[in-house]
Amino acid sequence: MRRDNILRSSSFRLALIFSLMFISAFIVTGMIVYQLVRWELQQRQDQTIQETFAVIAAAYGDQDITDLLDTVQTYIKAAGDRQRVFSLVDPSGKVLAGNIPDLKFPEGWSSIDGDEMQLPDDRQYRIFSGAVDGNRLTVGLSRRETENIEAIMLQSFGWASIIVLLLAVSGGGLIALRVQRRFGAVRSTMEHVARGNLNARIPIVGRGDDVDLLSHDINDALARLAATVEGMRQVSADIAHDLKSPLNRLKMTVNEALAKQESGQAVITELEAASAEADRINETFEALLRIAQIEAGARKSRFGKLDLGDILQSLADIYSSVAEDNGQRIQSSLDQPGEIIWGDRELLTQMYANLIENAIRHCPTGTDIVIRSEADAEMITTWVEDNGPGIPEREHGNVFRRLYRLEKSRTSPGNGLGLSLVKAIADLHGARILMENSEPGLRIKIVFPRIDQ
Amino acid sequence: MRILLIEDDIKTADFIARGLREAGHVCDVLPDGQDGLFHAIRETYDVYVVDRMLPGLDGLSIVRSMRAAGVKTPTLFLSAIAGIDDRVEGLEAGADDYLVKPFAFSELLARVNALARRPPAVAEKTVLQVADLTMDMMKRRVTRAGVEIELQPREFTLLEVLARNEGRVLTRTMLLERVWDFHFDPKTSVVETHISRLRGKIDKPFDVQLLHTIRNTGYSLHAPR
Repeated sequence: MRRDNILRSSSFRLALIFSLMFISAFIVTGMIVYQLVRWELQQRQDQTIQETFAVIAAAYGDQDITDLLDTVQTYIKAAGDRQRVFSLVDPSGKVLAGNIPDLKFPEGWSSIDGDEMQLPDDRQYRIFSGAVDGNRLTVGLSRRETENIEAIMLQSFGWASIIVLLLAVSGGGLIALRVQRRFGAVRSTMEHVARGNLNARIPIVGRGDDVDLLSHDINDALARLAATVEGMRQVSADIAHDLKSPLNRLKMTVNEALAKQESGQAVITELEAASAEADRINETFEALLRIAQIEAGARKSRFGKLDLGDILQSLADIYSSVAEDNGQRIQSSLDQPGEIIWGDRELLTQMYANLIENAIRHCPTGTDIVIRSEADAEMITTWVEDNGPGIPEREHGNVFRRLYRLEKSRTSPGNGLGLSLVKAIADLHGARILMENSEPGLRIKIVFPRIDQ
Repeated sequence: MRILLIEDDIKTADFIARGLREAGHVCDVLPDGQDGLFHAIRETYDVYVVDRMLPGLDGLSIVRSMRAAGVKTPTLFLSAIAGIDDRVEGLEAGADDYLVKPFAFSELLARVNALARRPPAVAEKTVLQVADLTMDMMKRRVTRAGVEIELQPREFTLLEVLARNEGRVLTRTMLLERVWDFHFDPKTSVVETHISRLRGKIDKPFDVQLLHTIRNTGYSLHAPR
């Protein structure tokens, strides 16, 4: 497993991208607000200047320059620090009053640096100049006040930015860490699996979030995989165990034939025995593989809608003459038309054929074999029942095991795989198998869940 | 008949080729998939026998390519894979029949013969005649020498399959597939029981036997030779 590196994790990158986007949005918004406020402050400053201008100009009445002059001088006196500047120039260009030199200010609005007007404050001044009955009145205001406010604004905005940045990065990091921790659990589980422990499972937190859902799916897949591997392991063990003795027998028969051949005797009996043994080995091998494939679910792709009653009826027809020749009787009691299920016709046919053949082969003459199906709202129950010798109840759980054979059937032909195949096919169809004592005899029920049509 | 065998296992190929030649056929053997396909498309044969797993090009691809190239020659698929989906896959690829290894040679021969003489796909005959036995498919009536014979539905199908393959040998497995649609080996005498019942109805009451048992191979319906 590669070492965790939080900086490389997708959750951290996501958090980082999100933080950057958030910060950018914050800065853009901040700039817009700053510009708006600045513009508003300048508007207000201009308004103040214009109002002052209007008040001074209103002092000029009936061509009386004195009142105007007094007013200007009063204002000049009040503006001791020359944050406000005034100047009154008569039509001939003579300065009547003012705390700045006459710079021939243009009519209307202008902006002039303080040092140009020989002022101690070298900041920009906002100047409004206008005519008052031929005299030129100029009113100006230093930008200092608004610039102070702007500086405060910038400063607080800067601090806010830093706080937002810290919050975004640390929050993002925290979220990334938490997600990382959960993915870490997934990774360490997968690491265990990679090392061969197929029973490792990802812990489910229980929040039902996407990581939980993903973990759930992975766990399901792991369970399936573990079952398949276990099945394969079981098959290999079974093959090793159950093919070894017939292979030995085969070799012994061949050796016997070789010895007979040397002494000039006919070997046809041995060759026939060897051929039959080889057939049996092959049959066992094939049955094991088939069961393993069915258990792995490989066949599900060939599922279709089919009529269970149809399958059972046709099998009852086929086997009734076989049973009759064996001195037995097959009765069927089936719903016609039967119940529709989702399944594989070939496999289901083989499954029921196995059950019916078991009954025919293991029951004595005179046995009745009953094939039935019944359906209710939730399930479809099918069964094959006989009144033969049955199976001891303690063996009911064993007979579905691979290659398991009851002691008494050891001598009759068969490989002990018939019921394992039945179970594998039933499992593939989501059906349950119930084995019951039908007193006397055996009843094997296969119960299918009903599908929504 | 000219038969092309595409099989890479030398021993198996030898065994099959020898058997086919002894049965009076001409058999060419190619061990490589690509050569096999090339040959199959260029030359004319009566039947192809193609192994599923081959070096160069696998059997499924050979059959698919052959069919895509318009070659309609009957093809028998051989496979060591007893997988439950493999038969269906082989047939879907365009093969006409499928045989799983190991097999008895008589089984292979019977299937090759059945394939080669498969009549072109024309409308199926509605009246089948084997010697004095008549099957009317429309009325589902069977008569022999004018005597009406009652058959169970499954016996009727069995007789139909045998009659449509008059003179050919049908193995137990072939009958299981075609009459019962069983793709597994039943542990009881399904085939034998039905054959014996059918024989009791169509042969027993008459002098001449039509339904013959071919020892170690299968069954055949034909007039006495």
